Amino acid sequence: MNDPVILLAHRQDIDTPLRALHATIVGTRDAVHRACSEHRRGAVWIAPRADLFRLLLGRPSTPTRDQRLLVLEGLREQQYAFLRTMFRVIVPMDKEVRRLPREELLEVVAMPNRDELFVAGAVDEDDGVVTLYRGNLEPLVVPLDWFKPSGTGVRPDPARFEVTDFGHTVRFGDYEASTHAILYAHDPKYRTRAKARLLEQDKSFGGALRRLRILKGLSLSDFPGISDKSVARIEKGDVEKPHAGTMAKLAKRLGVKPEEISTY
Amino acid sequence: MPHELLLPEPWTSQGWKVKIFDVEGPEEPHVTVRFRARAWRVSLRSGNFLDREPPGRDVPEEIVSNVRDNLAALVTAWDTLHPSNVVKSPEPEAEEVPEKPKTKKRKKSRQT
Repeated sequence: MNDPVILLAHRQDIDTPLRALHATIVGTRDAVHRACSEHRRGAVWIAPRADLFRLLLGRPSTPTRDQRLLVLEGLREQQYAFLRTMFRVIVPMDKEVRRLPREELLEVVAMPNRDELFVAGAVDEDDGVVTLYRGNLEPLVVPLDWFKPSGTGVRPDPARFEVTDFGHTVRFGDYEASTHAILYAHDPKYRTRAKARLLEQDKSFGGALRRLRILKGLSLSDFPGISDKSVARIEKGDVEKPHAGTMAKLAKRLGVKPEEISTY
Repeated sequence: MPHELLLPEPWTSQGWKVKIFDVEGPEEPHVTVRFRARAWRVSLRSGNFLDREPPGRDVPEEIVSNVRDNLAALVTAWDTLHPSNVVKSPEPEAEEVPEKPKTKKRKKSRQT
C-alpha cells in the first residue's frame, strides 16, 4: 500500500496536475500539524513553493518516522538544513538533481505503482554512483559500473544523465536503461512482485539461475570449475537440485549467496 | 543506443512508443510499449504480453499488430543489443544423459 501524499499548498495555487495527485492539502499551520499527527508512519510531501515551509515551524522537533519531501522550487541552504530535521529524504530542485518535467513527475507520483518509476536522480562521478529517486521518493543507489556497454558498444555517458519517459528510462547520453531492469537487479522486493506479474513464469531454480546469469552479463562458460554444458543442463531443469559444491561455485561467480539465486 | 519502432499516426503523436533498451531485464526477450506512465512488455518469441498488469487489452490493437508485423526486425535489434540473451537461445549440444539402469529395491528383512 502506498504512503499518503500531502500537498503543502494553498488551494488557490493548485493547478490540474497537482489536483490529480488526490493529495491531502495542507495550507495552514494547524492543517500541517494535523497531517503530521495522522501520518506519523510516513508520507510523501510535495511542496510547490519554498515560501510555505514556514508552515512547518512549530512541528514537534522529533521527526516522525518516514517523511519524504519533493520540492518544486529551489531551496536556500538554510532552508535545506531546517528541513533536514524533519524529512528523511529531500529531493530538491537544484542543478545536480535531474528530474522529470513537472507534468510527468506529478503524473508519476499520482500513479498507484509510483515506487516502480523514477522521478529524479543525481550522478556522483567521484564516488562512481547514481542516486535514483523513485516516485515515492525512496532513493536507490546504483554503481555507475553496473551500466555495462550494450551489444552495439554504446557506453553510458554520466555527464549526460537524465530520467525520462515518465520515469521508465534512465538515460546516459545515447545509452538507455529500463527502470524495470535497474529495479529488478537492485531491489529484491520489486523482483518478487515483477515475477508474480508474469503471465508465464518459469519458477524453477534453472530459470532463476538463467535470469541471474543474464543479469550479470555472463555466458554459460563463465563458471570456473563447472562446464558450460553442466550450467546449461541446470538451467534447462535437467538437474533439479545441484550439489552443494556446485551451488557454491555458481553463487561465487554470480556474486550472491547460494540461497539468493532462486529469488531471481 | 536503444532501438525504437516507429509507429504510424496517430499513435506517435499521441505519445505511444515502442522500444528496446540498451539495458533490459533478464526475462525473455521483449519490446516495451509505453504510453505516458504506463508500460507493457511484448514477448519477441511469442508476440504475447509478458505481464498480467497493466492489461494488454489497454494497448490499441493496431499497435500490437504493428509490433507483430515488425517482429523480425525487432528480433534482430534485440539480438544485437543483447547477445547474451538472444531470442533463439543457443545452447551447447547437450550431452546424452544415460538413463540410470533400473534397480530392484531390496526388501528389508525383518528381524524377529
